[in-house]
Parts: sequence; structure tokens; C-alpha cells
Amino acid sequence: MTMNFQVNLQGLIDLLSNHLYSDPGIFIRELLQNGVDAVTARKRLGQSFEGQVLVEVYPSETLSFTDNGSGLTAEEIEQFLARIGSTTKRGDLDLADDYIGQFGVGLLSCFVVSDEIVLITRSAKGDGALEWRGKPDGTYGIRSLEREVPVGTTVFLKAKPEFAEFFQYDQVEELLHKFGQYLSTPIILKEDRYERRINVSKAPWDMKKEEALAYVEETSYYRPMDIIPLVSAVGGVRGIAHVLPHAVSLQDEKRHRVYLKNMLLSDKLSSILPPWAFFVNGILNTDSLRPTASREAFQENELFFAAREELGECIKRYLMELVDREPELFQRLVRVHTESIKAMAVEDQDLYELFIRHLSFETSFGDLRVSDILASRKEILLAPTVDEFRQIARVAKSEEMLVVNGGYVHDLDLARRLPWVDSSATVRIVNTLEFAERFKELGAEEKAEVQPFLELSDRLLSGFQCQSLVRWFEPADLPVLYNTNQEVNFFRLADDAEEKADPLYAEVVRVIRDALYERPYARVCYNYNNPLVRKAVESGNPRMQKACIELFYTQALLLGNHPMNADELKLMNDSLLFFMNEGLARTEVDR
Amino acid sequence: MNNRFEELRRASWSLPDGKQKLAVMEEMIRLADLYRPVSDAYEVRMNYVSAAPDGGCAERMMIAFAWCLAEFRKHPDQYSSFSLLWNYKWVLNQIWRIPEFSRETADRVFEDFKAMCTEFGYNLRPYHQQRVSYLLSLGELDEAADAYRLWRATPRDSLADCRACEQNLFGEYRFRIGHLKQGMKTLKPIMDGRMRCHAIPQNTYSLVMNPHLQLGETDQAIAVSRKAFRELEGPAYLEEYGELLETLTLMDLARAYKLYERTLPFVRESRIGWNNLNYLYAAGLFVEEWTKSKRRKKLPMADQVTPEWISDELGRLIQAFDRRNGNSIISERMADRVKTFHKLKRKLAKGSV
Repeated sequence: MTMNFQVNLQGLIDLLSNHLYSDPGIFIRELLQNGVDAVTARKRLGQSFEGQVLVEVYPSETLSFTDNGSGLTAEEIEQFLARIGSTTKRGDLDLADDYIGQFGVGLLSCFVVSDEIVLITRSAKGDGALEWRGKPDGTYGIRSLEREVPVGTTVFLKAKPEFAEFFQYDQVEELLHKFGQYLSTPIILKEDRYERRINVSKAPWDMKKEEALAYVEETSYYRPMDIIPLVSAVGGVRGIAHVLPHAVSLQDEKRHRVYLKNMLLSDKLSSILPPWAFFVNGILNTDSLRPTASREAFQENELFFAAREELGECIKRYLMELVDREPELFQRLVRVHTESIKAMAVEDQDLYELFIRHLSFETSFGDLRVSDILASRKEILLAPTVDEFRQIARVAKSEEMLVVNGGYVHDLDLARRLPWVDSSATVRIVNTLEFAERFKELGAEEKAEVQPFLELSDRLLSGFQCQSLVRWFEPADLPVLYNTNQEVNFFRLADDAEEKADPLYAEVVRVIRDALYERPYARVCYNYNNPLVRKAVESGNPRMQKACIELFYTQALLLGNHPMNADELKLMNDSLLFFMNEGLARTEVDR
Repeated sequence: MNNRFEELRRASWSLPDGKQKLAVMEEMIRLADLYRPVSDAYEVRMNYVSAAPDGGCAERMMIAFAWCLAEFRKHPDQYSSFSLLWNYKWVLNQIWRIPEFSRETADRVFEDFKAMCTEFGYNLRPYHQQRVSYLLSLGELDEAADAYRLWRATPRDSLADCRACEQNLFGEYRFRIGHLKQGMKTLKPIMDGRMRCHAIPQNTYSLVMNPHLQLGETDQAIAVSRKAFRELEGPAYLEEYGELLETLTLMDLARAYKLYERTLPFVRESRIGWNNLNYLYAAGLFVEEWTKSKRRKKLPMADQVTPEWISDELGRLIQAFDRRNGNSIISERMADRVKTFHKLKRKLAKGSV
């Protein structure tokens, strides 16, 4: 035996009000939608009439929505209103696309704000007028009306006390305007004898560029840089994207305004344009993308993504044409939206080629445009992290080397591909540890003189995974250049872990550290241009040299903002105290 | 230095998954070791354990994990055994992918995990689960079948992987033992969108494409490859990129190029042999087909990633796995895959798939 289980309508309505719809004001949209759909349905019957939806605001917090659409027969009322989830619009599957609504749950959103729905209707297919009264507990009654009623449907709602604000004239006007301002069926709002039409505006997707610029300025309080027309045959999308006149954070959620068959679906839909399109806000209308049950977003299916790709192509095409058409505007766009453009260029080779020469990078010679970089150098060095860039930037400049900072998001990937646009250019990623080896070497005689000092330095610093070398380099006031890279930190962690772990995990750490990686040593490069370094080398006094090396090393750490461990701090203190003592002793001798 | 620590923490939150983020976290660990309480050093390392695989450097996770495990054993009352064992599973899921680890070491790590599960009151479901993948990589199918039975027979407790991840692996197991249709059936709830988590269905997409083709379901393969192309992101999915690259090489060479361009840098950074093997296998096929197609567009990084480099690397990795496994399963399997690829290619050319 098959039985029906009971659905608690009250509970269902609670569910809808709290979870399906994000805002109680949605009932306005649902009623508007039912009205517009009824007008469409009556037109389909071949009847000639001027479609209209009339919304009346009464004192005592009551609203009525009247349309002169198809109306409902007693049978349709049974089928549609008495059964949640079914809809009169579904029978006609082939034609269903002209309707906005899909799910037949729309009327339920009225129970969120009202304890009773009264519906008076007369079907365009004939029969007399009917009155239907429904309550949120699932009970309803139908009766025939004696009096004359025009074809169409009127819905009356009386506000629950807590939702009275949604029944005030201003609020109703605002919501009608928000959802329905671009619908083609006239929407009239009436209070007492005063009437006004809500939807007189032209939709942005029907506007010419100048109109759209003025429209955005009026509604968003800024004048956009430009308007990009958007069209996708897939999903029947038309719209505009306006180029924001100010930079935006890449972290911000995008809010595009999207309409479904001219009815507002969402004013904060982020996914309708490709994620790289940070620098525009879109206003779009679609005929055939499928909404989700709450009709506040779209189902993200293949159709949706195909449409999104198509819209992305529109933006790309616009940018490519803009370079020649309005070079000044193009430059301004690049200046304001650099970050966004970098994110785009990483994703797409065409856009990369379009933009890259106009972008700027931080280099050892300050911020430079790529066109200037490529004009001045063919050999470009690229530091992979901000930290490594900072270590070498100053010396690189003195040594006339152009190093690009690749440490910021996207810059490494962008700079690495420069040979794409200039095949004579080479880009090398700097190995910071080998950086100092590029400097001028010492002569044979000097080398021999320095050798014992270097050996002492290697011995003293080997415990800190640091090797020593000496070169001539600029600036002369810098005695030592200390270079490390990211891997040095990792090796320190590995060594600590090996020491702390049990034998099994010590073995695990060793395999990773020794079989998968090569151990990097940090480098101190002494500058033979620096008088203090030369004096230290020449002094020949091992005690004095030891203290010098320790102080050079720890000073370099301090200058480079590298964290010092306990041993390194002790090294610094010991060497400082040594020099203090030496200095004081000499003062005593002098006296 | 505390300011620097907070500054790094903020940076780590805003950086995308990758090496730069890991470098920032490594500096945080160093600072925590020097200037902050041990519990901070433990916590930062635990975060690093989950960030390292997402950043494409799963091997680095083990360094931090080794330290945490030792610290946990010293003060078991101060840290969560659940969180430690939860992360321990990722170690098991990586260790067999690195052929530099001997079987003996890997076995001992598995036994260590098993003992800890028992000690802290968890059952052995995750242990058996992880062993299935390990044994499959060794080519020991009978033992893998035993482990699979034990895995399914042990009830789920809180340490078990989420249901979507488990379902995905049930399907993967069926594919690996050649039961393609059964595998498809198993993965249906995921493909229908009824089961998901942060890694599913992305992982599943890469599993089903080739079986779809082998079963003659070209349309499905195309549909899944589209989704995979869109949704797989970041350096953590190298093995999956390999699967996708192979499918796209068969069906859509232009899209394959885009994928190759986007993912090639990841393999250059990755040190996980298993993932590199699967990626480079597909990369080899792609480069071959691209060159044959005589397109004008130059391959990315063409001066470093030559066909010779790819084939040398592949050979080296296959040898390393065969050596660890003490058999020639991996060379045989890779040879089979190449054969299947060419068979599918011929079929597609004739339009009979």
C-alpha cells in the first residue's frame, strides 16, 4: 500500500523564509514575476491587449498586485496553488523559455511576510471570477464571485507586524524599481489617486556608449573610464562592463549586476565574468542561462562557463582594439589597473603580448617600464623573492647590473617570459648565492695575500653554513655582502628536525635533505674596495682578524634583517667586547 | 621580531599556494624557534605540514612533521593526538611516492603509524587505506587486495578520511585493477555532485577521463576534461595534470598546449618522483604530438625542457621505482600506458571511439 507522508507547510515556509531566499523583500520580485509571466501567457493565447501590472499600496499595511494576464481557471488553481512545487508554466515545456519563473514556489515567499494570501482571478480562457484564500498552515478555500471582474489576477497581502516596513510606499517603490525597472510590461504603482510608472528607463544593455557612461555616473557616483559592450550568443547575454576609474583590490569580491529576462537576479554576482576581470563592473541581461531555485544566482553548468568565456573574449577584444584607437586611454587604464592587468597577462599569451611592454617592474635602477628595460639591456637578471632582491639590489646598481624584482605576485612569471616579445633578450633567475661571483676578481698576488684570511673565515663560519669569498665591488663603503636564499632556512629546519627526531624519523629527514636537495651555503663576500677589509687582511694578527670576521659577519646579518640565533648573537657580543677592550687598552697605553 | 612574525603570518595568509608561501612559513618557524614558546613553533610547523603539499613540495612536510612527532612524544599531554595522527596520514600518502625512500624505511613508517593508532585508541581503517595505494605502487596486487578488504571491513572512526575522499579511492582502486565499469559506478555519486570535499571532485576528474575513453565514452571524456581544465589549479595536482594532459593530447591539442604551458613550471620545482613520473609521461606524449602537428607556436621553456630531457628524466624515475620495488612493474606499466595511448589515438582518428 502506498501512503503519502505529511509535509508540514508551516515548517516548509519557515525553511524558505530563512534559507532559500536571502531577503524577505523577495516576495515583491515573485509577485512581479507572476504578473509578467501571466501577461506573456495571455499574449500566447493570441489575445490582443496592453499588458500591465498594477501595484497598489493601501493604508493598514495592505498591498495588491494586479495583472491583466491569463488569469487562472478553477482547475489551474487546484493544480498550481494547492500543490507546492508544481507550476502552470511547466506544461508548456517547449515554450517555457519565455517565462521568468520556473519553480512554482514563488507565491510561498508571500507567506514569509503575510499570514493570508487572497487571490482574485478570472481566466482568459473563459469562466467566471474566483476567489482563493490560502493560509500558511496549508488550508485554503475557493469560491465563485458574483461580481464582474476583468480578466487577470489580483493578489492581496496584509503585512505581518514585523514585516510592515515592506508594505510602505517608499519601500515598495524601491523594490519594484530594483527588480523590475527594465521589464517591458508597464509596472504602475498607485497610492490613493496618485499613480506613477516604475519602469520607464532604458536598460543599460540597450544604451549607446555616451548614455551608458552617464547612466553609470548617475547610479554609481563616478564616471567610468570607458564602456565595454558585452555580447554572448551562448546563453543569450547582452550587457556592458564599465571600466572602473580607480584601482581595486584583487581580494575584493566582484559584484556584477545580472538580470534574467530583464528582471534583476542578483546585484552581487561575482562569477559571471572571468576572475581576471577585476577592473570592470558588469551589468548584464540573459535570456537563457538557468537560475538556481532561489533565483538569486545561476546554475554553474557548461552553458554558464561557455557564456563566461565568450564575455571574457569581449573584454580582451576591446583591450586589443583600444591600443590603436585610443592610446592615451589605454595608458591610463594600464596605470590605474596594473595589478589586474598583470593577473590577466599571466593567464593569456595574447594579453601578455599586448600589455607587457607597458607594465613596470621594480628593478635595481628603480621602477622601470618593460619597454625601457628591453631598450637598454638584453641580459636581464631576475630575483625570485623580495628578500633576495633586497640583498643584491644596491650592489647590483653600483655594479651596473639590471636586476628585476620577481618577488611580488605574478612578477616572476611575467618577467620570465620576456623573450616571448623580444627574442634577443635573455632572462636569468639570479642564484643569490652565486651572485657575488659575478664581481671583479682579485689579481694573482692579492689572491695569495687574502687566502689565509679566507681560510680563517671559512673555518670560523662553517658552523653557520656560510662560505667566504672576496671580490672588488661597488659601493666601497660596504665591507661585506651577505647572501642567503630561501633554501638555507629550509636546511636549518631539516638539521633541527634531524637532531630532535627518533632514529626512524632522523633517517626520513636525511633522505629528504640529502637525496632530494643539495645543501646550499650562504655566502659572505668581502669587498676589497673597502679600506677596513683591506686593513683586516693586512693586519696579519689572527686574534684581530678573528674578531673582524665575526663582526663583519654579524653586522651583515643585522643590515640584511636576518634573524640571529643565540650563537650568532654571542659572536657579535664577543667581538664587540674584544674591540672595546683593545680600544681601552690602547687609550691606557697612550696615557 | 614579534612584529616580523605577525607580518609574515599576514603575508602567508595572502599568498597563493606555492614556494613563496612556504618560504615565508619557513622564516616564521625560524623566528618561532628563536623567540616564541615551543607551542607556537609546533603550531606553525603543523600549518606548514598542510601547506607544503598544497605548495607542490610535499616532501618538505616531513621535515616539519618529524620535529612535531618528536615534540609530541616528549609532551603527549600538551598536543592533540588526533591532529598529529590526521597529519601523519599525509606522510603515509607521500612516502611511497618518493623512490629515494627504501621499502624498509617506508614499511617502518607505516608500522610506526599503526602502533600510534592503537596506542591512542583509533582503529586501523586509515592504515589499511594508505597501504592500498602503497602496495599498488609496488605492484603487489594480492597484498593490495587484502589491504583493500581490511580497509572496507574496518568501521569508520573520526580518523578516517572524509567519505568523498574514500569513495574516490574506492573508484581509483577498481580502475587500477582494471575494473573500469565498476570503477565508474563507484565514482558516480561524486560525478553526480552528491559527494564532494576540498579535493573532490578535482581528483576524480583526472581518474575517469582515460577509462571513459577506453570504454568508448568520448563525450563524457570531453565534458570531464573541460571541468578538470577549469577547476584544477595550483602546484598540488601534478599527477592529475598528467592525466589531463594525456587526454587533451588525444582530443584537443590547443587546450593541451595551454595546460602544458601553465603546469610545466610545477614539474620543474617538484621533487616527488611519482608525480613527476606521471606528469612527464604525458608531457613526453604531448611534445611528440605537438611537434608532429607542425604548429608554428614554440613550446614553452623549449631550451630547457627538450624531448631528450623529458625522456632522460622519465627513464631515471622508472629505474628508481623499479629499483625500490625490486621488480619491473613500473617499466611494464608505463610501456602499457604508451601502447594504450596509441591505440586510443588510432581509434579516435578512425572515429570509432
